[in-house]
Amino acid sequence: MKRQTMYLRMITSSLVRRRSRMIVALLAVAIGATILSGLVTIYYDIPRQMGQEFRSYGANMILTPSGGGRITPEDAARAAALIPPENAVGIAPYRYENIKINEQPFIAAGTELEGARGASPYWFVSGRWPEETGEALIGQEVADIIGIGPGGVFTLSGITADGDGFKGEFTVSGVVQTGGAEEAFVFMSLEALGDIAGGGGLDVVECSVSAPQTELEELAERIGAGTPGVTARLVRRVTQSEVTVLSKLQALVYLVTAVVLMLTMICVATTMMAVVAERRREIGLKKALGAPNGEIIREFLGEGLLLGGLGGLLGAILGFVFAHTVSINVFGRPILFKPLLVPVTMLVSIAVTGLSCLLPVRRATDVDPAIVLRGE
Amino acid sequence: MGNNILELREISKIYGSVGALRDVSLTVSQGEWIAIMGPSGSGKTTMMNIIGCMDKPTSGAVILDGMDISRESQKGLTNIRRDKIGLIFQQFHLINYLTALENVMVAQYYHSMPDEGEALRALQRVGLGERARHLPSQLSGGEQQRVCIARALINYPRLILADEPTGNLDETNEGIVLDIFRQLHGEGSTIIVVTHDPEVAEDAQRTIVLEHGRVARVTHS
Repeated sequence: MKRQTMYLRMITSSLVRRRSRMIVALLAVAIGATILSGLVTIYYDIPRQMGQEFRSYGANMILTPSGGGRITPEDAARAAALIPPENAVGIAPYRYENIKINEQPFIAAGTELEGARGASPYWFVSGRWPEETGEALIGQEVADIIGIGPGGVFTLSGITADGDGFKGEFTVSGVVQTGGAEEAFVFMSLEALGDIAGGGGLDVVECSVSAPQTELEELAERIGAGTPGVTARLVRRVTQSEVTVLSKLQALVYLVTAVVLMLTMICVATTMMAVVAERRREIGLKKALGAPNGEIIREFLGEGLLLGGLGGLLGAILGFVFAHTVSINVFGRPILFKPLLVPVTMLVSIAVTGLSCLLPVRRATDVDPAIVLRGE
Repeated sequence: MGNNILELREISKIYGSVGALRDVSLTVSQGEWIAIMGPSGSGKTTMMNIIGCMDKPTSGAVILDGMDISRESQKGLTNIRRDKIGLIFQQFHLINYLTALENVMVAQYYHSMPDEGEALRALQRVGLGERARHLPSQLSGGEQQRVCIARALINYPRLILADEPTGNLDETNEGIVLDIFRQLHGEGSTIIVVTHDPEVAEDAQRTIVLEHGRVARVTHS
């Protein structure tokens, strides 16, 4: 039999046949690894999760026409195609026309209603969103001034930039409250506005994109370069506060992770100290049989590393469950599994357990082999 | 005297102001069976520690197999203990998570290369071939002591050092262990037994009686 085979047989036997003692040590490592891997999973998933949360505050990128005029529908489609579909929460193109209702001036906004709904989830609508071309969503201010609510009918009129007059009759599907300038707008589909005011370009495209600020900046540059008629700008008020909150939250999780790592080390070191202390007689016996100190350290380290690996694997699995539970309860969304975290957690656990073992084992090799003759 | 395996030359061991051993001299020939007796505190354990390379004398010389080991480093003593001495303990001291066979192989592992077949033969020799795969907790006291003997013999030591080898055994197992000792002695092994039991000492060729750290008398059988 090779020496290495005997070595493995000894360390695995120690773990398997001393199950009750080793389960305590394994639990200490696994619990530490669970919290660590769980926190790291949350740490790396926070930008995605919080990005989703921030999207409820509205658009974070605005596309405007370059150098006056309007954005052509073709340019808008080309720019929208550059936004990765998995990151696009809502894309709402807007065409504005000055209108009058009962001789009161307002603004009509034609948009893709589904995109507007995605880009502005914070809008509160009494009634419902328009579903047909003859329906419109009016702002609270408009509703107050003209004294109309859901189900009411109104007629609007206006003059396009080309000087052509237009007129149309709409049914109010709902009244929207936003707390902003939108409450003085009348929203309808782009088709509905086109039907009464004729064809025209877009004034602005509001985009809600789930991505960190750096990716958003790159995306804005790509859109600008790929669509010369369009200028993409980030809504700094939104993106900057997102960055600030995220960095503070990540710093907090980072700090907690560091503290947990330290506590884990102390806990594992204490457990290993106890494990080593109760095996003083065994160490004395091995020394009496002629085992050099290095060999005894190698055996205990082997046990510790095996324990660290097993505890790390268990911790990586439980850590994902922990992070998933936190994510479901806090963000209401599942967490992404990161396979790389499994080997990383195992390696960290092995390193922590190895370091924790080193001190007690080195001290244990000071045991006098004569203790076995004294019957201690 | 070229046939001497062990020679103690006026060794003393002083702990603080207490002298555990005082000017003890002893010569053990190859193949000899010696018994060391004495009341508690007479210095038996100290002498065992020194002969077993687990301690060094304060003064005097210990010549084991032609080598003065009294000035050896701890590392040197470990190597000598591994290569030249087979230890048998009163409390057996088996590793509780290893089988009888693995306990014997551990001594091989620290010495050179584990050999399962040879370890099994050593267990068969002490009548434990059938119990080789059992854990110490599954063995009786007598069986555990026989595993301890098989472990002590596995590396062909120059000297077998036994500390109260029958101290924890019933009469039947004491008989079995003493038979193994007789057999080993018959094959030429050098044995030093520390014991309280006059029956165990009876088989020895010489009995050294220690009192207050000195050799009080020596009897030859």
